[in-house]
Amino acid sequence: MELFDTATVLTRVMTSGVVMSIEKSDRELPGLERLLTKRTGRAHAVLVNSRSAAVHAALAGQGIGHGDTVSVPELSPKDAAFLAWLGVEVADEPGPAAFEHIALDAGRAHLLDEQARALRAPALVVDLTGLGFGPAAALLTDDRTVWARAERLKIFGAYDLRTMWTQEESETDLIPGVQFNYRLSPLVAACARMALSQAVRPLTTGAPS
Amino acid sequence: MITDFPSAPLPLPSAEEVASELAALGGEALIPKELRRTLFPVITKEDVFNLMLSQRRAPEKVVADFAEAYRSYVGAAYALPTASGTSSLHLALVGAGVQPGDEVIVPAFTFIATAQAVVAAHAIPVFVDIDPRTYCMDPAAAAAAVTDRTRAIMPVHVHGLPADVPALRALADKHGIALVEDASHAHSARIGDRVAGSFGDAAGQSLMADKNFPLGGEGGIAFFATEEAHSRAAEYTVRHGIDYGMSWVAAAFGHSQLERLPYYDEIRARNSRLIADTLNSTGLFRAPYVPEGHVHAYNMYRITLLPEAVGLGDLPVWAVKEAVHELLVAEGVPAREWQNTPIPCHLPFTHRAGFGNGYPFTLNPGAVRDHRPEDFPATLAMLDSTLVLCRELRSPVEYERALRYADAFTKVARRPDAIRKLVEAGDYRRPYEKAARLG
Ligand SMILES: Cc1ncc(COP(=O)(O)O)c(C=O)c1O
Repeated sequence: MELFDTATVLTRVMTSGVVMSIEKSDRELPGLERLLTKRTGRAHAVLVNSRSAAVHAALAGQGIGHGDTVSVPELSPKDAAFLAWLGVEVADEPGPAAFEHIALDAGRAHLLDEQARALRAPALVVDLTGLGFGPAAALLTDDRTVWARAERLKIFGAYDLRTMWTQEESETDLIPGVQFNYRLSPLVAACARMALSQAVRPLTTGAPS
Repeated sequence: MITDFPSAPLPLPSAEEVASELAALGGEALIPKELRRTLFPVITKEDVFNLMLSQRRAPEKVVADFAEAYRSYVGAAYALPTASGTSSLHLALVGAGVQPGDEVIVPAFTFIATAQAVVAAHAIPVFVDIDPRTYCMDPAAAAAAVTDRTRAIMPVHVHGLPADVPALRALADKHGIALVEDASHAHSARIGDRVAGSFGDAAGQSLMADKNFPLGGEGGIAFFATEEAHSRAAEYTVRHGIDYGMSWVAAAFGHSQLERLPYYDEIRARNSRLIADTLNSTGLFRAPYVPEGHVHAYNMYRITLLPEAVGLGDLPVWAVKEAVHELLVAEGVPAREWQNTPIPCHLPFTHRAGFGNGYPFTLNPGAVRDHRPEDFPATLAMLDSTLVLCRELRSPVEYERALRYADAFTKVARRPDAIRKLVEAGDYRRPYEKAARLG
């Protein structure tokens, strides 16, 4: 992304005064969520502050935790170490993947659409760190429960990110046991969104708008 | 252009307004609806310019320079910048030597992240009550909770007031265990000339944009007294494939904010004094307690209600509190409870699913307790009888706004008759009988 474009985005968000991820009036996080769901063809996006956070969200979203076994073909040594830390075992026998992943950088950002459409796992980890604005990632899914659980993992079980108050709700199994602050910053989200929207420009002939 | 520039100024305070009818009973609110927004953080041209310049630098360097500048301000020996306060606490515990299954003593009153960071370290939080005056961990309660498996004591400098560090340090030394601070509320808070974050063997601190010292979004920092503790934490993230890195965008914003932190600190201290003087003259309200030699950072400002001072001593204090809360909110003062339930009574610590199948609680079943709120009487007494201001004392809260907040407390305190009426007509419950709230 051009320095000038990044400068414009950062200045625009700072002028709005909203740099907090739990601010009700934030527009940047929902904006990036919309762009990612549209590009990947998935129904829901959960934005988080790193790749390992997205892997955690992908597993916890499906109710996979300590002591469980999953199948993940093509697991990198780093992701494997992280799964071991979560206490999630990896099956020797191949099976349907618990999650698949895409890592984007400035040169490959335009490939998100086709890569995402070729993948089938119930949870898709999209690593946005390579775009250059610091650690950032997203979990994409069609499953509302996966989304709901992952959202609660990243913000201490609260079901309303904008108010962050109560943990009590009718479906207590959506509330994670261990809870983190995996929230992404609006300034980072705004830059990532700009980088992703520019990446599609050369391909706009007939591409979905 | 979407801008945070205020749309209109507040009118100057006036004695007639303070004497007028309560807003809840049909009078004019002291702070009109359209003028209630408080801005935070203060974002200036310096922040914008610094971010522009930072774009041209290596991201690691932007983050490292920020961490070094702030480490030096705090006076801690080593620092590790992180993605959030929670991750900084996790790494502070790891650096301090906490191992899976260890017990870590934490206060029952804090933000839930303090206890969740212990679980993240695969350890077990052991909850103890607070001191009734400071609202920080009670050293005697901590002493009573130490066992063979206790590896660390983690006090929180609640709302920005340093905990009783001398007593807790002595306790930790006596048992050969670590003292780990949660300094998330306590930027620039001091005991003597030492700054919070530099007291313990390690410390974690949130720097998210709603703290006194805000980064450009989410962030945190862990501090360590020794190089060994610092490397232990740094290596841990690599070994386990955990990404806890801070974004350069958040760090660059923090660097220019750091230059202005002493100014912000003075504004908060000034506004706190101003409101304290008024509160202490009302009878009904009492300002926060600050022990000799401690500097409170006032990330939050917890106000005690004394119903007996205005002839309401026969009513339950929590009901008086709730009625007063309604009256203050109607005047345009965004007072809050900030928590209503001891942390051990929140779902994650009653169900104890942890990472799944009860891990890490299963590693040390002897450390696990099924708590009831009544196990923490000092916490409950505080929840029953106090209200909190959060952003309302921070820069750029205008002087006239601070005066209007003070006036609102005066206006409400003059009306015990209205408070009594509300309590008698209302269906109030104790705070912890309602759904547990995170903030
Ligand atoms: C006392 C305390 N500890 C820890 C945290 C967690 O920090 P963060 O939200 O940056 O993860 C917070 C607040 O948010 C807090 O108030």
